[in-house]
This record gives sequence, structure tokens and C-alpha cells, in this order.
Amino acid sequence: MITPWMNAHLLTFLVFAPFIWGVLLMLFPERQAPLVKLLAILGATGILAIAAVQLLRAQPDVLGRVAVERFHWFSAVGIPVEYHLSVDGLNIWLVILTVFLVPLTMLGTWHSLSHKAGTALALFLMLESGMLGALVAQDLLLFYLFWEAMLLPMYFLIGVWGGSERRYAATKFMLFTLSGSLLWLVALLYMAGKAGSFSPAVMAQAAAALPGSAQNLLFLAFAVAFAIKVPLFPLHTWLPDAHTEAPTAGSVILAGVLLKLGSYGFLRFAIPIFPDAALHFAKPMAALSVIAIVYGALVAMMQTDIKKLVAYSSVSHMGFVMLGIASMTLIGTQGAMLQMLNHGISTGALFLLVGMIYDRAHTRRIADFGGVATKMPVFTAFFLIVTLSSIGLPLTNGFAGEFLILNGTYLSGFGWGRAMACVATLGVLLSAAYMLWMVKRVFWGPANPDPESGTAHLHADLNLREIAVMLPLVALIFWMGIHPSTFLAHSEAHVARALVQAQAPAPRGAAVLPEVK
Amino acid sequence: MSMSAGELSAILPLLIPALGACLLPLAALDKDQETVKWVRGAMFFMALFCLAGGFFYVTRLWATGAQPSYGALHMDRIGQYAGIFVMVAAALAVLQLWDHLHQEGWVKGETLSLLLFSVVGMILFASAGNLILLFLGLELLSVPLYALTATVRLRARAFEGGMKYFLTGAVAASCFLMGSVLLYGVTSSLDLAVIGRALGAPRPDPLALAGAALVLMGFLFKISAVPFHQWTPDVYEAAPHPISGFMSVATKGVAVLAFMRVLGAGVPAPGSLRIQSALAVVAMATLILGNLAALAQTNIKRMLAYSSISHAGYILLGLVAGTPAAYSGVLFYLLAYLAMNMGAFGILTALGLVGDRTTFDQVKGLGWKRPDLAIAVTLCMLSLAGIPPLAGFYGKYMIFKELILQGHVSMAVVGVLASLVSVYYYLRLPVALFLEKPSEKAEREAAERPAIKAPLAGAALLVCGVLVVAMGLFPGTVYKVFALRVVENAFHFVR
Repeated sequence: MITPWMNAHLLTFLVFAPFIWGVLLMLFPERQAPLVKLLAILGATGILAIAAVQLLRAQPDVLGRVAVERFHWFSAVGIPVEYHLSVDGLNIWLVILTVFLVPLTMLGTWHSLSHKAGTALALFLMLESGMLGALVAQDLLLFYLFWEAMLLPMYFLIGVWGGSERRYAATKFMLFTLSGSLLWLVALLYMAGKAGSFSPAVMAQAAAALPGSAQNLLFLAFAVAFAIKVPLFPLHTWLPDAHTEAPTAGSVILAGVLLKLGSYGFLRFAIPIFPDAALHFAKPMAALSVIAIVYGALVAMMQTDIKKLVAYSSVSHMGFVMLGIASMTLIGTQGAMLQMLNHGISTGALFLLVGMIYDRAHTRRIADFGGVATKMPVFTAFFLIVTLSSIGLPLTNGFAGEFLILNGTYLSGFGWGRAMACVATLGVLLSAAYMLWMVKRVFWGPANPDPESGTAHLHADLNLREIAVMLPLVALIFWMGIHPSTFLAHSEAHVARALVQAQAPAPRGAAVLPEVK
Repeated sequence: MSMSAGELSAILPLLIPALGACLLPLAALDKDQETVKWVRGAMFFMALFCLAGGFFYVTRLWATGAQPSYGALHMDRIGQYAGIFVMVAAALAVLQLWDHLHQEGWVKGETLSLLLFSVVGMILFASAGNLILLFLGLELLSVPLYALTATVRLRARAFEGGMKYFLTGAVAASCFLMGSVLLYGVTSSLDLAVIGRALGAPRPDPLALAGAALVLMGFLFKISAVPFHQWTPDVYEAAPHPISGFMSVATKGVAVLAFMRVLGAGVPAPGSLRIQSALAVVAMATLILGNLAALAQTNIKRMLAYSSISHAGYILLGLVAGTPAAYSGVLFYLLAYLAMNMGAFGILTALGLVGDRTTFDQVKGLGWKRPDLAIAVTLCMLSLAGIPPLAGFYGKYMIFKELILQGHVSMAVVGVLASLVSVYYYLRLPVALFLEKPSEKAEREAAERPAIKAPLAGAALLVCGVLVVAMGLFPGTVYKVFALRVVENAFHFVR
């Protein structure tokens, strides 16, 4: 009796269970913090288990959907709003990435939250709800609601538990994101008025009937909101601040999931609704992506703070994702899908590692370290693996994603594809430069002789809990690098269909994605 | 003179609070009210009882769908909506007043009597079908509020604020009266419908237009739209906190309702087009000035005053769009505004910020001490900022959508940019409550003062928080049951 009902409402459960769990956790008194932490992790793990088992086991329908929920929610001022959730090839892995990262992050930052841990974890779970809701929402107003609702927990996580400049960073994060999304709301309401619905499919039909200039303007409103989230150069300036000031857990989720929602928004909504405009703007989008790749890498090289370095590397890596999307080829877009997951795993892991060393040394300045390898060999091993995956070494996930993106861009039917791919390849080189240079300064060489230095404060290597956090991430890094088709198979049909609908120019040569069935 | 049952039921929503208003001063004659708690309690209970009685009577009318009238007094859907709206706001204000007046150490039953008279005036204002009744309602709602502003006589600012309100209000009322005289002179009718038709004629009499402009000024003053807003921050700052909240919500609300009735009576035509463009200019100015001025405030009450000015701007945008759907959006907006603004003002009493101690500095770090209240007020603030999925978002959503559909995209863009600005100052309260640490001086002072107990104000705030969330989760129900019915049944231009 229960099972069919559960299956029918699986998505509602996934989206709202973390929220309700979070609210319940808030009721515990402050002194019960260890219990609250344990309960939060157990709850998040339970959700991970249910999501992974139910979503991966289910048989997809014709449209590739493994779970759907759809009913009329309310109509006001003439436009019906649907409560329409679904998981299909485009978002299944992003959903699983989200539910996977949350418990891991909580476990990884067990000791980092010094005060009011219960409230922080509750906000964290609410954030999970918001992210999952945004990922599975298929009605644009519903998507907008979740999109905005995500902001608040993150705002408070940065604002209350962040570093010294936390209020500045939190407010900047909030206002930057809102400025994009409010203008997008105007475009959204305009389209809803034209289409009489918030369904993307209906909107796409209505958009096709509009003159080209209107389509371009509307696409820009959508694109700017998503690009701020990605963040695409030159709208990225909030990201380094937010990352540097956020607590470790916030950084991991920000990099791991929140940014993906921007690129996901392009794939799910902006491009399918305005395919012509997307083709029209593919070149500037690709150009900005390439600038983001190179610029992000160059700025990362100049950083003195490890966390800030990782933050700028995010700008560079997300530039790859956007380049893959802008290439409008199957290979490139699939690469972008994979790179989204890669970045979530690798950069999330990097932020976790940076948090672990910060908890011990209470500094993140590169110059404060040196010779860490002799003091923390296990930590060094993990850091090195994640670094190599971030650089894109073959057999790690980074390679698969970046290779597909560069390949797709090079082969794309656009005239600019080859030039862009060549410049973007520079980014791979640069990423090796800044990451390895940082690793050299922090880990190799003799131990920093200064008794006040960060190295001097490192007394213990990773404990079992921290190793337990890192192991699944490392396993995924290799899995995704060696057998990426596990993660690509779901989205291929979806992406191919979207590209056909967008009438993207055919790629040069016989470009077939290897190994994907 | 005999009265039919329908006529009686039309004026009962006015009579019930009026009865309480008349009886309360009798109870207040008892000198014991200053010393004996139960006498005070009885008075507050009486006020609440009358409001509850009126509320249930009006909701019954609402449920049955009856729309009785008595002469030019139309207790139709607009009047009933106003009744429900005002009585809920007044009940929340009475709950907060109990705590606030005790905190100030100055409890008088007459305050409640004035409040109830003002309630009567407000319902009359929104249900008036001719100019005389309209003016009567306007005065009956205003005069008690002038006195209420100066209620806590111990405070130096109170008298100044009351006087300011009275003088500016009197000017606005005389403008309104002059406008009514001109309209009557031109059309030789007091009936709003007749006047509306005259204004809607292809070439309306210039004198009638001048009259309409003067009447419009009267309304805009009550809505506190720019440039008739200057009294708002000073008066709100001077008045007792619950009264400020009540004024910001109920006065604005009924002024909008009465204004909608006046606008709805006329057919959209050249004359009203001119009013529409005037409204558009006023709305833009209100949005821009209200939001920018709110940024600079250090006092929570003044910030809320400017915020209430800016909300007048959003509401006016709905009237600019002018379609039935936009009107229904405005009606939804008002309900959301009721909950969120009463909550916003409620935190002042619930945290026991007496007198002038209403700056952001005073609430630093208090959120962790009273998380329930702080979360509720944070929800209200976010709703005021229009962040989904809270009530305020849907109000803005409905208004902006109609505005865009009517081709006023640039106005909608200004509107969303204004809400972007507003996020910054609305967040300052949660920031102060949760993100900032109290100064040592403030902590020392707080330790010396007796602990603040404000159970009723706290409850009122929590109710507001719950309402804000509930209306965000079930916007469709609230919209259908309240907003849509007014537009369907009371306005004749719906096809």
C-alpha cells in the first residue's frame, strides 16, 4: 500500500524531507549539538539512499523521465501554475550529486562549526531542499520560487558562520544574484503572459512566434540571471568573496551544486525556450567562457590564499562548462554535463581539504605553509589526487569532461569553434600551472621553520572520519575518469533531442561520442 | 422609521465596533484602571470582543454572498473586504497595544475607544457610495488617529507627531472636500457612479477634472504616496508602535479600497486615462523615493515608514495597470501586506523596544535570545522584500504580470529594481538580529532592565509569520476566496 504512494510522491518527499528535518532539528537546544549533528547526517544519508536507489532503479519513460509529479497548484490573474516536478536524464545525476555532497560535507565539517551548529545544519538541510526543488522543478514559476528560496539559507550560512568580512560577502552574494533574477522575473512574466502558461514547452512555442529582437532580449534576461549564478565572466566578482568568507560547508555546496544551477538553467530553460536566440548568442557566450577560463586561471595563479585560489579555479572550470554548452554540439554539451559533475566532486573535495587544513592551522595563506607533506602524508596524498583531477589528468574525471568539451568546441559547426578550442586549451595548461605551483609551495620542500607558521600547527594527520569523507570522493574521481559513460548515458538522448530542436549547426566530420550506448 | 433586515445587516458591521467604542470610555471612567489589572484586562477584552463580533458578522456575510446596502452605504464585497481587513489589523493592534502600553507604563482604555472609532470610520470610508459618506468616513477614521498618534503623552515626540499629522491631515481633508464641492457643482450629484460617468465623458468639464485631482490628492495623502508622504516617517515614529502598524496597514488599505471603488465606478475613458498617467507618475516617484530614503534610515520605525511609502508605490502600479486582474492582484497584495507589515511593526513591541529605542543598534544579537520572534519577523521582512515563496512575492507577481501584459514593461522594470534595493534595507533587521553582536553597553543595560515579557505581542507576531508563510504556500486559495470575489461581484466592469 505504502510503496506505490511513496513512488508517486517520491520527488515531493525528496524536496521537502530535508526542509522538515531541518526545522525539527532547530527545536533541539544548543547543548545537544553532537546529537543534532548526528541526526542531520543520518537524515541526509537517508535521503541519499532513497534518492539513489529509487531514481537509479526506476525505468525511464518515453521522455527519459524516471519520476514525475504533476498537478495544478494555483491559478492567479489568469495563468495556471503547475506543481510539476520530474527527474530525467538532464538532472538525475545533478540530483544525486546534491544529495551525495550534503551528508559528506556535514561529516567533513563536523568540528568546523563552532557555535550554533544545530541552526547551521538546519539551514544546510533547507538549502538542500531549495537546490533539489530547483533541480527537479519543470514549471518556470516553481523553478523561480526554489531558485530564490535557495538564496536565504546560503545568505545566513555565509553571514553568520563566515569569516571576518562575512556580512559584506553575504550581502554581495544576495544582491548580485537577486539583481539578475528580478530582471529575469520580468522576462518570465512577459513570456508567461504571451504563452498563458509557465510550462517551458508552451513558452517555447510562444517564443517562436515573437520577432527575433524580442527573442534576443528575452533570452538575454534569462541568460544574465543564469550567468550570474554560473558565474560567467564578467559577472563572477561575487564568487571569490562568497567562497572565501563562507564556512567550509557553504563553500563546498556553493561550488558543488549552486553554481551548477546556472548552467543547468541554460540547458533546461534558456536554450530550449529561445533556440534561435541561443544560436545568435553562441559566439559571445563562447567568447566570455574562454575569457573566464583563461582569466580565472591567471587570477588563480596570483592568489596568496588557498581558498581564494580554489574559488578562482571555479571560475575557470565553470568557463569550460559554459563553453561546452555554447558549442551546441552533442559532444560539447555532454562534456559540459560531465564537467558539471566533475567540478562538483573535485572542487567540493578541494574545499573540504582546505577546510581540514584550516581547522588545524587557522590560516590559509600559502606562504604560511611549506613541507606539509612530511607532517600530513595521508592528507597530502588525497590533496594530490584531487589536484590532479582538477587539472584534468587522464584517468581522472577532469580529463574526460574537459576533453569532451574541447573536442566538441573544435568540431562544432560554428566558424569560431577551432579558435576558441585552441585558446581554451591554454586554460588546461594554466590550471596545471597554478595548482601544481600551489602544491609545491604548500606541501613540498622543507617544513616552514617559523614557529608561528601554519605548518607548525599541524599536529595530526587526517583522522578516520576525514578519510571516510575523502574516500568516496576519490573513488568517484576515478570512476568518472575511467568509465564516464555511467554518468553520460542518461543525458545523451535528452541533449541530442534539444540540439535537434535548436537546429544547431551540424558538427564537422563524423563526430560520434565514443562508448555511449 | 423602520429598517429592513437587509438595511440593518448593511450597517451592523459598523454598529458593532461603534457600540464597543461608546461603551469603553464608560469603563475607562473607573479610576481603578490604573491600579487594577483586571479592569484593564476587561477593557481590552471588550475591544477584542467587539472586533471579533464584527469580524464574524462580516465573514458570515462574505460566506453567504449577500451584498446589502443602506442608502448610499454599500456593504458589498469591497465594504466587507474592508471590514475583514480592518478588523483583523485592529485586533492584532489591540493585542500589541496591551503589551506596548504596559511597557510604556501608561494604559488608558480611551485608546481602545479611539481605535474602534477609527475602525468604524475606515469601514464607512470603504463602503461609501457617495461623496458625503466618503468624507464622513475619511474624517471619522482620521480624527481618532490624530489623537492616537499622541497617545503616550509622556513621550516628547508624541505631541509633535500628533500635531503634525493633524495639520497635514486637515489640509488633505480640505482638499478632498473642495474637490467634492467642485465635482458636486459640475455634476449636481453626490453619487459616485454619476460622477464617474461625467468624468468618463469624451470631453470632461475642466472644473470636474480639477475636482477629481483634488479628491485624488486626498486619497494619495492617506495612501502616503509621494509627494504627499512627508508626514509618514515623523508620525509613525511618534505614534505607539502598534498604532503605527495599524495606520500603515489599515489606513492605506481602506484608502486603496475606497479609491478602487471610485475608479471602478467610472468607465475607462479619456478622463480616467489622464488620471491613469498621473497615477503612473506618482507611483514611480513613490517607488524610487520611498526605497532610496529607506536605505538611509538608522531607526527601524522610520525605515518601516519609508517601506510603507514604497509599498504604496507597488499598489499604485496595480491601479495603473487597471485591469480586473490587476485589481484582484492589489487585493491579494493588501492581505499579504496586512500580515507582513503588522508583523514588522510587531517585533518592536515583542522585543520591548520602548519609546525611541527603536534603532537597529538596539536589536543587535537579540535574534538568538528570542529565535521564534526573530524568525517570524525575518519571514515578514523577506516577504516585504518580495522574496518567494512568501506572501509578498505573489502580490508583486500578480501586479507586475498585469503591468507587463498591459505594455508597461519599463514600469515593471523600475518596480523590480526598486524591490532589489528594498532587499538591502529589509535584510538589515535580520542582519542586526542574527549577524551582529550587541555592544557591551547595550548588554549591560539589558542586564539591568527587567526581562521583557510581551506574550500577546509575541503571539500576534507569530500569527503574522504563520500567515505570511501560509499565504505563500496557498496563494491560489486566498486569491480565489478573497481577492477574486471582490472583483467579480463588486466591480461592474468585469466581463
